[in-house]
Amino acid sequence: MIRNKINTKYLISLGVSVLLAFLVGALILLCTGRNPLRAYGAMLSGAFSNRRHIGDVLEYAMVLAVCGLACDLGSRVGIFNVGGEGQLLLGAIAAAQVGAALDGVTAWAVIPLAALAAILTGALYALIPGVLKVKLKVNEVITTIMLNTVAAYLCQFLAKGPWRSSDPRMVAATEELSPRYWFGGLMGASNLSTAIFAAAIIAFLVWYVMQKTTPGFEMKLTGQNPRFARFSGLRIDRKIILCMAISGAMCGLVGMFRVFGAEHQYKSSISSDYYFEGLMVAMIARYQPLTTILLALFFAVLKVGAEGLQQVGVPNQIYLIIQTVIIFFMAAQSGFLEAAAANPRLRRLLSGRKKPPAGADPHTGAEPDEKGGAAQ
Amino acid sequence: MNGSKDIFSTIFSAGTFQMMLRSATPVALAAIGGSMTEHAGIMNIGMEGMILMGAFFGVLGSFLAQSAFAGLALALLVGILAGLFFALLVVRYKSDEFIIGCALNTFAIGLTTYLARNYFPGDASGNPNLPELNLAFLDRIPGLRVINHQSVLVYLTWIIVILAWLFVYKTPYGFWLRASGEKPDTLRTAGISPKKMKWIASVLCGILCALAGAHLSLGQLQGTFTDNMSNSRGFIAFACVIFAAAHPGKAYLAALMFGFFEAIGLRLQGFVSSDLTGMIPYLITIVMMVYVVVRKQRRKMKNE
Repeated sequence: MIRNKINTKYLISLGVSVLLAFLVGALILLCTGRNPLRAYGAMLSGAFSNRRHIGDVLEYAMVLAVCGLACDLGSRVGIFNVGGEGQLLLGAIAAAQVGAALDGVTAWAVIPLAALAAILTGALYALIPGVLKVKLKVNEVITTIMLNTVAAYLCQFLAKGPWRSSDPRMVAATEELSPRYWFGGLMGASNLSTAIFAAAIIAFLVWYVMQKTTPGFEMKLTGQNPRFARFSGLRIDRKIILCMAISGAMCGLVGMFRVFGAEHQYKSSISSDYYFEGLMVAMIARYQPLTTILLALFFAVLKVGAEGLQQVGVPNQIYLIIQTVIIFFMAAQSGFLEAAAANPRLRRLLSGRKKPPAGADPHTGAEPDEKGGAAQ
Repeated sequence: MNGSKDIFSTIFSAGTFQMMLRSATPVALAAIGGSMTEHAGIMNIGMEGMILMGAFFGVLGSFLAQSAFAGLALALLVGILAGLFFALLVVRYKSDEFIIGCALNTFAIGLTTYLARNYFPGDASGNPNLPELNLAFLDRIPGLRVINHQSVLVYLTWIIVILAWLFVYKTPYGFWLRASGEKPDTLRTAGISPKKMKWIASVLCGILCALAGAHLSLGQLQGTFTDNMSNSRGFIAFACVIFAAAHPGKAYLAALMFGFFEAIGLRLQGFVSSDLTGMIPYLITIVMMVYVVVRKQRRKMKNE
C-alpha cells in the first residue's frame, strides 16, 4: 500500500513521474509519426486559449476533486469506494427526474429537493457495499464494481423507458430541465456554473474535517489500525458506514451538479468514467485531500487540453496514456527504490559514490524473501 | 397465454444457446486466466485492459499481415508482455494490485483507441478473421447443431478449461500456485519461490485474456475493432472468478450463465428491456459473494 505521506520525497517522485510520463507520451507520439512538441503545445493552448476552455477546465477539476475527495474519505477509514460511478449516475438521474417532475414549482424548492434526492440516492447506494463490508466482511471493491454496472443499466433503462424525454430525437435521456432551474453559467459557453461554489464548500468541509478535527483523527485511526481504534472505544463500524454514505452522497451530488450545471438533463454524457479518473487522482495524491484538489486541477488541464489535440490531428486519448503512466510510476516508485537500494551497483549510482563502500552494510540490503526470490 | 409461450420458446431456442456459447467464450477465457492470479493471491482487476489490448492487437496483426493467425500471434505476444508488466509492478515492485489494475484498464483504453485512430482512420473492420468450425455431420445430429459453426477459439476454450483444471489441481505447479496465494511462507520453506509462481500466474492470465480479446475481435466480430470493445467483460470475468472460487471448470459454467443472460437479453428485446436482463448476472454475483462469505463464516464458527 502506498504510504500516506506528502513530503519532499513525494513531490520529487511526482515531478519525476510526470516528466517520465510526458516522455513516454512523446515516444508514442513520435512512433506514430507526430511531432510531440507541437502536440504538447496544442494541449497547452487547448486548455488556456479562451474563456470557454478555462471554464471547462475548472468544471472538470470540480468533478475530479469532489470525486477524488469522496474516494479519500472512504480510504481514510479503510473502505475503498470504487462504486462512485454508479452513485454519481443514480444521483444525476434522480436529480434530473425531480427537476423534470416538479416543473413549474419555484426554483427555491426544486433545487434543494433535487440535491436532496441526489444525496439520498448516492448515500443509499453506497450503503449497500458499506454494510456488506462491515457486517459480513464482503469485499467492497468487488461489490462496488458490480453495483456500478447495475446502476449504469438501471439508469439506461429509466432514461430509455419510464423517464424518457418527450423529445423524440433523444434516445436515452430524461426530460430537459426548464432553464430557470439551471445553475448560472460563469464563463461564457463553458460548462462552468455556480455549482463550483457549492463544490468548493464541500471540498473545504471535507479537508477541514479530515485534517483538523477529532473525528478526522479518529477516522485516520480507524483506517490505519482498526484493532487499536476498536480497543480505544471507537465505534469503527459506524464510522466506516457513515464515511461510505457521505462518500456516496458526494458522488450523487456531483451527478446533480453535472445535470443542473452543464447538461440540463440526464444523458450518457453525464459521466464517462469520471469517477474512475477522480479515483486515480486520489490514488496519485495518496488520499490526501489538499493534494487531491491540486492534482484534480492539473489533470483537468490535461484532459481539456487534450481536446485541443484534435485540432492538430492527434487523437486525444494520449491524455489517458500520460495519466496512467504517471500512476504506474508513482505506484511502483517505492518498490523500485527499495529494489534499487538492495542492488549495490544501482545504490552506488543513486548515492553518487564512485567506489563501493568497504564491507557494505548487510542490513540495508535486500529483505530475505527478496533474496530468496532472486535466487530462484 | 400466447405471449408467455413465445417468450419461453425464444429463451430456450437453439439460437439462444448458440449466442450463449459465443458470448460466454471471451468471458470464460479471461475468467480462467483470472483464476490463475486469484489462486496466486493477486486480485486482478486489470483483466479488462488485457482483453482490450488482446482485441486490438489481434486486429492490428491481422490487418498488417493480412492473416488472422498473425493477429492471434501478436495478441498473444502483447498478452505475455501485459502479464509481465503487471507482475513487474505488482510482484517485483510490490505496488498495490488494485491501483495497477485500474490504471492498466484505463491505459488500455487510451492506448488502443489512440492507435486505432492512427492505423484505422475510418473503421477497423473487415480484417481477416479466424475460421469457423464446419463439420457437416454435426448438422445432421439434432442436438449438436448448435455447437457447429462457431469460431475455433470456442472449441479451444473447452480444451483450455480441461488443461487449466489439470494444471491447477493435478500438477505440482498448480499445487505451488495455490500455495503461493494461500500459504506463501510454507511454500518458501519448501524451497519454492512464491514470487515465481505469481509471475507465472500473471503471464498465464495475460495470455488467456489476450486470447479472450482476440476471440472478441477476430472471432465474434469477424475482424473488427471498436473503441472500448471489451465493454466490462473483464469485470464480468472477475465476477466469474469470485463466483467459481477460482475453479476453472466452475468459472466456465459461470461464464455460460453470463452468456445466457446476455443472449436472452438480446433475444427478448421485444418483451423486456435488455437493460433489465443485463443487470441480472451482476446482482447474482453480489448475492453469491454474500452467500460464499456467510457460508465460510458459518463453517469457521462450527470448527471453533
